[in-house]
Amino acid sequence: MSSRKRIVTVAKKEIIEFIRDWRTIVALVVIPLLLFPILFIAFPIVMQSEAAELDEKFVDILIQSDDVENLLVQDIENQSAVVSIEAMPTNLTTLSDPSNSTEQLRSMEYDAILRIELRNETWYYAVLHLSTSEQSNEARSRLLEVLIDWETNLTSQRIESAGLDVDTTLNPVRWDGTISDADVATKGEQAGMLLSLFIPFVLAIWTASAAVQPSIDMTVGERERGTLESLLSLPLSRSELLLGKWLAVVSITAVGVTLQITGLLFGIAYLASDFIDVPSLSFASVLLLVMAVGLYGTMVVALYLALAMRSRSVKEAGSVLTPITLAMIVPILLTQFINLDDVEMFWFCIPFVNVLLGLRELLLNRIVIEHVIVWMFVSSLVCIATIRYAAKQFHREDIITTKS
Amino acid sequence: MEPLLRLVNVKKSFGEVQAIEHVNLEIYRNSVIGLVGGNGAGKTTLLRLMSGVYRPTEGSVVLENNRPVAEMRSVLGVVPESTGLYSKLTAWENIRYHSRIHGIDDQLSWNRTFRFAQLLEIDASLHRYTEGFSRGMKQKTALLRALAHGPQILLLDEPTGGLDVTSARTVRRLVSKLKEEGGTIVYSTHHLAEAQQVCDRIIIVHNGFIQADGTPEELLKLTKTDTLEEAYVALTKEKARPRMEEAEKPSRISTFWRRLFTPSSSMEVREDE
Repeated sequence: MSSRKRIVTVAKKEIIEFIRDWRTIVALVVIPLLLFPILFIAFPIVMQSEAAELDEKFVDILIQSDDVENLLVQDIENQSAVVSIEAMPTNLTTLSDPSNSTEQLRSMEYDAILRIELRNETWYYAVLHLSTSEQSNEARSRLLEVLIDWETNLTSQRIESAGLDVDTTLNPVRWDGTISDADVATKGEQAGMLLSLFIPFVLAIWTASAAVQPSIDMTVGERERGTLESLLSLPLSRSELLLGKWLAVVSITAVGVTLQITGLLFGIAYLASDFIDVPSLSFASVLLLVMAVGLYGTMVVALYLALAMRSRSVKEAGSVLTPITLAMIVPILLTQFINLDDVEMFWFCIPFVNVLLGLRELLLNRIVIEHVIVWMFVSSLVCIATIRYAAKQFHREDIITTKS
Repeated sequence: MEPLLRLVNVKKSFGEVQAIEHVNLEIYRNSVIGLVGGNGAGKTTLLRLMSGVYRPTEGSVVLENNRPVAEMRSVLGVVPESTGLYSKLTAWENIRYHSRIHGIDDQLSWNRTFRFAQLLEIDASLHRYTEGFSRGMKQKTALLRALAHGPQILLLDEPTGGLDVTSARTVRRLVSKLKEEGGTIVYSTHHLAEAQQVCDRIIIVHNGFIQADGTPEELLKLTKTDTLEEAYVALTKEKARPRMEEAEKPSRISTFWRRLFTPSSSMEVREDE
C-alpha cells in the first residue's frame, strides 16, 4: 500500500469518527453557515424594533428657566415629552453645573433637564442627563433636535430682519452633485476595502478556533483513550500518521471556514445588498487568497497538533491551546491598523501577521508581487518548521505511549 | 531452524530508568510463548519492543533474515492491554481500518474476520458500534482486528484481563486453535495457571530481566518445586519495582508549582496519645 493511501485512510477514519458526533455537525456546519445570515437578519430587526420602541416612549423633561418661550415648550411637548417647568436654580457657576439636580436624574424622576436663559440677545442653555440610561439619552437627543430647529428658525429670522438671503448666507460653500459619485473606486472595490478589515479577522479566528477540538481529540485524546498504541504497531510511519491527522484537521477546519465565508457572502449578496456589495476580485487574487488561508491553516494546525501531542492530558492540551487561540487576536488586531498604502516590507516577514496583511491586500484586489513573494516564502518556511516540530513530537515514544 | 523473531541483547531505558536489561530471546514458529510477571516487570515493554512501538536503546529486534521489526510490522498482529477501539466506529469498521492500513482487500479481511468472529461468537455484533461493548466484546473485537490481515505472529497483552470466565475461556480456545493452525503467539499474563494451560513455553520476567525461560516442566525442574506458583516465587524473590513506563518525570516548573500548593504531610506520632 502506498504512503499516500495510508495517509488518506487515516484522514478518512478521523473525519468519519469526528462527524459521527452530531454536536460536531452543529459546530462545524450549522453555526458557520447560519451565523452571518442570522446576524444580517436579526441585527436590523432588533435595532429597528428597539428604535421604534424608544420613539414611542414618553420622556419626562424638566425645564429650569425664568424666561423660556412658550413656542419652545410646545415644540418639546410635540416630541412625546411630558414637560415640567420650574425656576432656574440660584448659585450656579455655569448652566452645565448639575448642582442640586443630580438626584432628580439619578432617581429617574426626570429623564433630562433643560436649563435655558437669555443674556443680551443670546440664549444660553445646557441639557443635563444620565449617560448610562438609554431613556435619558433619548430625552437628551430629542431636546437637542428641538433646540437645533429652534436655533435655525431664530437664525433665519435674524438674517431676514437684517435684509439678507437666508440660503446664501447660511450655505456660502456647497458640494455640487452626489458625494459618492466622486469616488473612483467601484462598489466592489469599496466592499473589498470594508471587508478587508473584517474577513481576515473571521478567517484567522475561525481557523484557529475550529482547529482546537479536532487537534486535541486526534492526538492526546487518542492517547487518553488508549487507541494510539494499537495504531503505532501498524505498518504506518509516524510521519504518515501525523500527515493523516493533519489532513483530517485541515479538511474539517477548511469546511468550517468555507461555510462561514459562504454564509457571509450570502448575507452580503441577499440580505445586506442595500449597504454593501460583494467584493470584486480577480481570479489571481482569489487563488492567492486560498493559498494564504491554506498556509495560515497549515501553520496553525501543525502547531496545534504538536502542542496537543506534547500535552499529558486533554485537560492540559485545552489549557495550552485556548490561550494560544486568544493570543491569535494580537496579530489580527495589529494588521487592522497598518496603512496598506505605505506598508513597510518587514511586516511581511513576521509570521501570521504577514499572511493576514496579504489577505487584506488581496481583498482590495491589490497584488504586490514583492509582498506576495515575501509572505509566501516566510510562511512556507514557518510551515516547514511547524510541521517538523509536530513530527518531532509524534516521534517521541515516551509521550506517545504514556497514558495520563 | 531459524527463529521467527529475535531479541538480541536488547536494553530499553526511559531517561535514567532501565526498563529492560540485556534480553536475549528467540521465538520460533508454531508456538505459544507466555510472558509471565507482575506489574512493572517489563512484559508490556517487551511486547512494545517486539511490535516496534519502542525502539531498543541497545541491541536489536529482528524478524527472519535479520529484517528489522519496525520495517516489517505487517507480519504482526497486536492486541494491546487497552484494546484501542474507536467507540464511534462499528466493530467491523475498527477491523477494516487496520486492515486497510495493512493493505488488505476489504473482502478478504471480511472473510477472515467473519470466520474468527463465529469462533468467538460475536459475528452478530460486527456492525454494532463498539461504544456499548462489554470488556469481553472489546477484547474479542481487538483480537479479530489483529487477525484480519493474517499475521505471522500475534502479540497479546493480557488478553483475558478483566474478562468473565466464559469470555476468557473463548479467548484461550481461539489461541489454542490458532496454534493448531500453525500460528505463533506471544501471550502476556499475570496468571500462572492460564500460562500453563495455554503456553508451551513460559518466560518469567521480573524487574526488567528474564529470570527463566522454558517449558512448565523445565521451570519446575530448575527451581526444584512442585507447582509453577512456587517456581515463580522462587524466581522472583527480589522486591518488585514500580511501573517504568508511568514514571514520566514532570517538568521542573510543574514540580515547583505542585510543591507550592502541596501542604506539608509531615505527621509525627505522639507518644502521650
